[in-house]
Amino acid sequence: MKILISFLITITFMFASDATIEVIKKVDSLPSLAIEDASVSYDETFKNRFFKSLVADLNVLSIFNVERYHRKVNYDASSVLVENKDINYVLRYKLSEDDSRALNLELKLISQENVVFNKNYKVSNTNVYMFVSHAIAYDINKFMGEPPVEWMKRKVIFSRMVDSQKSELVIADYTLAYQHIVVKGGFNIFPKWANKEQTAFYYSSLDEKKPTLKYVDIKTGKSKVIKSSDGMMICSDVNDDGSQLLLTMAPQGQPDIYLYDVKTKSTKKITTYGGIDVGAQFLGKDSIVFVSDRLGYPNIFSKSMNTGSVEQMVHYGKSNAACSVSGQYIVYKARESSESFGDNTFNLHLISMETDFIRRLTAVGINEFPRFSVDGDAIIFIKNYKSQSSIGIIRLNHNKNYLFPLKYGKVQSMYW
Amino acid sequence: MKSIVISSAIAALLMLSGCSDKDPKVDDSAVDSGMKQEVVQDPSAQEVAPIQTETVSSSEAAVMSDGTAQETDGQVMMRVEKELLTIYFDFDKFNIRSDMQGNLSTDANIAKTKAKDFYIKLEGNCDEWGSDEYNFALGLKRSNTVKKALVAEGVDASRIAMVSFGESNPVCNDKTRECWAKNRRVDFKLLP
Repeated sequence: MKILISFLITITFMFASDATIEVIKKVDSLPSLAIEDASVSYDETFKNRFFKSLVADLNVLSIFNVERYHRKVNYDASSVLVENKDINYVLRYKLSEDDSRALNLELKLISQENVVFNKNYKVSNTNVYMFVSHAIAYDINKFMGEPPVEWMKRKVIFSRMVDSQKSELVIADYTLAYQHIVVKGGFNIFPKWANKEQTAFYYSSLDEKKPTLKYVDIKTGKSKVIKSSDGMMICSDVNDDGSQLLLTMAPQGQPDIYLYDVKTKSTKKITTYGGIDVGAQFLGKDSIVFVSDRLGYPNIFSKSMNTGSVEQMVHYGKSNAACSVSGQYIVYKARESSESFGDNTFNLHLISMETDFIRRLTAVGINEFPRFSVDGDAIIFIKNYKSQSSIGIIRLNHNKNYLFPLKYGKVQSMYW
Repeated sequence: MKSIVISSAIAALLMLSGCSDKDPKVDDSAVDSGMKQEVVQDPSAQEVAPIQTETVSSSEAAVMSDGTAQETDGQVMMRVEKELLTIYFDFDKFNIRSDMQGNLSTDANIAKTKAKDFYIKLEGNCDEWGSDEYNFALGLKRSNTVKKALVAEGVDASRIAMVSFGESNPVCNDKTRECWAKNRRVDFKLLP
């Protein structure tokens, strides 16, 4: 028995840093956190909405057991509420509206009767309250000494179908609670952030004579044409410094992958297979990962841009038509059942390029548009299950999924 | 001690009020200017023309009835376009099914005869299974297969343009097998 236990412990340590191995953390072992609302402005509906947003954000951190009771208190009360006496951390906040109608928030984190952290926040109007909630969660996470959750503050850009051949491009927070339409009217799809700072984006316009890639600077609102191609013109990925793009073009009706240099405006053809090669993403500096039907069905492959050698990356799943890459990991969408009316038609899987392990990340529904956060800490995706669409966040190292129901519309494409 | 707490709180307030404030504002400006640009480019805005007033006399009425008897190019194009048959495909496939060869021959004949004065646009479409780049490529490959078949039957390749709409142009929105089969198709459109 001892041998078995020590063997298991050894195995655990060996693979402790591999995200494809499921890490089961005991929920009970997480510290508890309760939230006390001391707001002096706004109606009950808004107070509830803000409270729920904060609970959701703190839950997504995956480092607390967050109490869901919405309890009111005086901000200056000397001790925590009697119900929260045995709670490890109490987060008390006060929302107040000032003369310029800006939303102000005062916050303190109390542990064992002591204020261990405090901070004030301010935004110009109540419509963007969720960014305050995200900022609080970010700060609390940092205060607790956890790895940073930069992605919580980042924005998501997505295209939404509103009718046949009609779509709009929307910028949102990571929960899609805040949504701002940036391009309206026409048929515009596949938006991609043009840089890490998220100050500009690319998108494909199908309203022109030929499919056209456009670039929009968010600060100035100016848009310019990058390139056109017959058949298809999609920006699949942008490299870390924004200097290179991976495009899918089809000048002769043949979809292939091209590397585009933003400065010199030159293109280089990367794939030459006669079937379908699409959806390329940078893998390090010299390689790409892409989707191809060269085995007769869509699957994930890699190709070295120097040597040209192609390697099959995924050996599981009948139809693997979308993926995202971060470091050594690939998350991909696999069609699991040929039964169209089954309840687990498309699921997300994670593989490591260094081991043979596969980790299944979702179990039911149609799960699509997987996308790693910039730091690889989280995966965002869309889940459709039982006629409800939600945006999902997977915290790989915490083995947890979180879903935020979507308001309306069918998401066509999404980029984080 | 108290002054340190207050000053650090003020510093934090200044930093954060800047931070949290800034992002949404950036969007506002971008949205406004971005949207303006799109509205300007909207072709529907250019289609507005002043209403023409015509005085209709009996002689002109006779001229008009003569005119309607003769089809305009546009009317011919629309009539012939309706005769062109849609080509349907199997799930995740872009080869021409044997039961579609008949449709394709009909289309090729029309393209070489009645439609010989027009350009042909092939619109590739897919079912709702997957809204990825792959689906757009699949739609395009379907168009390309039809193009190759038309060229093999003698249609001039320079008259044919292709486009893919992925799954974004369904003719049927129900969640049934029959419905999805209807959406896996290449439609023919004629252009002057």
